Amino acid sequence: MIFGKSLRHTLLECFVITCLASFFLCITLGPCSAYDLKDKVKEFTLKNGLKVLIVERHASPTASLYISHETGAVDEGDCHTGTAHILEHMMFKGTETIGTKNFEEEKCILRKIHDVGNTLDTELMKGESADVQKTENLRRQLDTLQKEAGKWSIPSEIDRLYTEKGGGDLNAFTGQDLTSYHVSLPSNRIELWARIESDRMANPVFREFYSERDVVMQERKQTVESNPERKLIEQFLAAAFMVHPYRRPVLGWTPDMRFLNIDYTKDFFRTYYAPNNTIITIVGDVSPEGVMKIVKHYFGRIPSQKIPIKRVTEEPVQNGERRVKLVSDASPRLITGYHKPTLPSFDDCVFDIIDTILSGGRTSRLYNALVEKGIAVDVNTTNGFPGARYPNLFVIFAQPVSPHTCGELEEIIYAELDILKKEPVKPEELEKAKNQLKADILRNISTNSGLAGMLSYYEAVAGDWQYITKFPDLLERVTPEDIMAVAEKYLKPGNRTVAELVTKEN
Amino acid sequence: METQRQKIIKYCVPLILYAAVFIVLLSSCAWHSTPVTNPDDIVYAPLRFEPPKAQRVKLENGIILYMLEDHEIPLVNISAVIRMGSFYDPPRKEGLADITGTVMRTGGTKSMTGNRIDEELDFIAGKITVSVGTDSCTLSMSVLEKDMDKGLQIFSDILINPVFSEGKLETAKILETEAIERISDNPQKIAFREFRRLMYHGDLRGRLSSVESIGKIERDDLLNFYKRFFRPGNVMIALSGDIETADAVKKIKNSLGAWNIPGDPEKPPPPPVRVGASLNYIHKDTPQSVIIIGQSAPGKESSDYYAFEVLDFITGSGGFRSRIFAEVRNRLGLAYSAGSFYSPRTEYGVFGAYAMAKGSSTVDALSAMTKILDNMRDRGVESGEELAWAKESIINNFIFSFSEPSQIVMGQMMLEFNGLPDNFLTNYKDNIEMVKSSDLRYVAAHYLSGESRIVLVLGNKEKFSKPLSSFGDFHREISGTENQEN
Repeated sequence: MIFGKSLRHTLLECFVITCLASFFLCITLGPCSAYDLKDKVKEFTLKNGLKVLIVERHASPTASLYISHETGAVDEGDCHTGTAHILEHMMFKGTETIGTKNFEEEKCILRKIHDVGNTLDTELMKGESADVQKTENLRRQLDTLQKEAGKWSIPSEIDRLYTEKGGGDLNAFTGQDLTSYHVSLPSNRIELWARIESDRMANPVFREFYSERDVVMQERKQTVESNPERKLIEQFLAAAFMVHPYRRPVLGWTPDMRFLNIDYTKDFFRTYYAPNNTIITIVGDVSPEGVMKIVKHYFGRIPSQKIPIKRVTEEPVQNGERRVKLVSDASPRLITGYHKPTLPSFDDCVFDIIDTILSGGRTSRLYNALVEKGIAVDVNTTNGFPGARYPNLFVIFAQPVSPHTCGELEEIIYAELDILKKEPVKPEELEKAKNQLKADILRNISTNSGLAGMLSYYEAVAGDWQYITKFPDLLERVTPEDIMAVAEKYLKPGNRTVAELVTKEN
Repeated sequence: METQRQKIIKYCVPLILYAAVFIVLLSSCAWHSTPVTNPDDIVYAPLRFEPPKAQRVKLENGIILYMLEDHEIPLVNISAVIRMGSFYDPPRKEGLADITGTVMRTGGTKSMTGNRIDEELDFIAGKITVSVGTDSCTLSMSVLEKDMDKGLQIFSDILINPVFSEGKLETAKILETEAIERISDNPQKIAFREFRRLMYHGDLRGRLSSVESIGKIERDDLLNFYKRFFRPGNVMIALSGDIETADAVKKIKNSLGAWNIPGDPEKPPPPPVRVGASLNYIHKDTPQSVIIIGQSAPGKESSDYYAFEVLDFITGSGGFRSRIFAEVRNRLGLAYSAGSFYSPRTEYGVFGAYAMAKGSSTVDALSAMTKILDNMRDRGVESGEELAWAKESIINNFIFSFSEPSQIVMGQMMLEFNGLPDNFLTNYKDNIEMVKSSDLRYVAAHYLSGESRIVLVLGNKEKFSKPLSSFGDFHREISGTENQEN
């Protein structure tokens, strides 16, 4: 699992949008010294399986609201990568009653767009043997239909409704395991949130699908193709995982993105956005009774769905080092990672301590060995990458200071990892790490959105938000011998994948 | 004659069938029927909120302290804001202010080495960080309430007695040099840095640090820089957290009250009003171009400020519905990120429209953005609905300036730091409410003139489907290495 200090890492690690990445990775565990979360969280479950967690905080008349669906890129089928992410985009296009001037008129055109779009894609999939004349005709038809549909739609209505009423932080993100929709609102606007969210959970309309497909292609160009670090991460994951879906980027592979399919997206939505696969967390100036009245009224009517058993191909044990090289005109970078189990395994908790010992602050081992000595400009580690539902990776990121090389960084990093295996961590250093982890929790939950996000994450990915309150005991159990054993077991060359960005010679 | 049984079949069965159908329809309506309420018709309870007022104390030595209690979480946060910044970098030593801030934090004090400070802080999971801007430097601390005394002792020692050790200076220079080299990996960073240089051309704010300027910095430079700016009269402190006000004031007085160096606050003059338009190109082989269009804008003390806030919101910072986002991303599909920003200081401001556009569509995106700005300039905002949406959104969102005590206390302190009246925030909403379309018309015509517009395009012109020259005459074509120089 990943801890508070990983806030620094989010930009490195996440393929997802904005600050929401921080809550996804910012899983700080263990309760804070004098803040007892257990008594503050009120839990409710509707008949349709929708789970709601509420914490009251009355310092300011605002509330932070998260809706998280226990689904993400990991649930996509082959050739459909990017579906979970484009679905997130589609969820902002409105519903049968929001974002349309006349849905009866509009839906006829949308049906035609659907048919023409599918026919066009089927033809384009033929590649070089596609009928050029046919595709040109179909493109023209699609353009005309999209223009016609535009006459009936009102773009960005959901955004308008929220923004007008003070909805700050309106955003969403898609991860491997989780997709979340978040907004902060003045606390007298809860009914607006319920009206919009329940409607888009029940009756979303996927308008502008084909133009949005272009937008996500642009997103990929901007955030991956133009970003050497993200490109390297993508290559790294594809090598570290041979078969498991964690090898695939959340944005999707470009060839799949070209043919993202509206029917497949709708089925994905229907299955995975069901209330019995969804958690709502609300932190702020609210009364649980008042909120639940609204939630029951708006969300209670949505029927539950049968959620398929989540099956993925289990990643086989890695038995030899893998290496990836990316040549680019950017400055050199290094990523090296090791396979490990996920929570609630005890070893995962030990990795949180290792994470902090290695790169938690200026006195951490890798910082001292690399940055203080002017060999690396930056070094970070993260536990639980790129997701946490399944076994994942412990990863080290570093950038050398010219003229030092990635090879030198590797030598120093692996020497430090060997020390972890052979020499027990001193009591003060272990205590320091535990103090840092606990304080990071406090910092994260000090804001409404931080707390709401953390509750949402643990309930969805760990299956129980109380994992947060139980964790400190787990943390206290970690001994220097445990650290040596975990380092010995997992941080070995045969279990390692290395990705290196090499600068092109001019 | 019908039997009883036949009557039942004749009358009741259809009834039962109709009832069954009705029940089925009703139950399907019960979940599928869309909620009747039009979201625009929802009635809300009124929101009344008086943000707490921070306590203000002026110490005898000139330090001004703002304090607000927050007992939700056992943490304490302190920020000291000092009047110094990159504006004051000496010629050919650009980056000195930033390095001084960094090494003040890492370089140790008269009583503790930098490493010892780091050990003590990391052990208690305390954080002390520094950041340096154009005309202010912020030294911040976050500690658990139980470690307040220890944290404050280190914090005040760093502020009053830094020694800027040679070793930590060398490390800082190496890291800063590498960071500058790596700017060229990031198209957006390159573009925004160059944009700053263009917007402030001729003013001290328009200078950028470089490998050369960092290389020339020596320890004496840091000592002199520190001596020039770090004195009580140049410092304000914002404190919030799990501590009683009286206790906090006492602790601050004990730790910083004896710091006695005379001298008044030092403030930089505003930049001259920039004149002249230009079109600038930076070559970088990147799949997406970065486009920035900039204009000078009013400062917060100007009567045009509120109208300009609304103008910026409508133009591009108001989310999906704002004009640039809606047109360049949604309607034309030319960019993933597009919008505008408005950075107002007290006496001056900068406005910019931006887009990260598809390489081939660069000139189309630039044209679309220019058209929107020209339209604004020529016609203002004619739609009453658009004006109402912008004002209502800004006003309703304003509550989030007061969502955390640390934010509230910092906000109140920075009003004084920036020379703004102390009712600036409390009157903000009313001032936005009073903005009329004639005000927008005026500020748009006055500030969005094409004759004072800076346009910057970063990308690979070989990929543009139309040449940039179709847009206008070039001022300057900047190469990838050139932007590193002063």
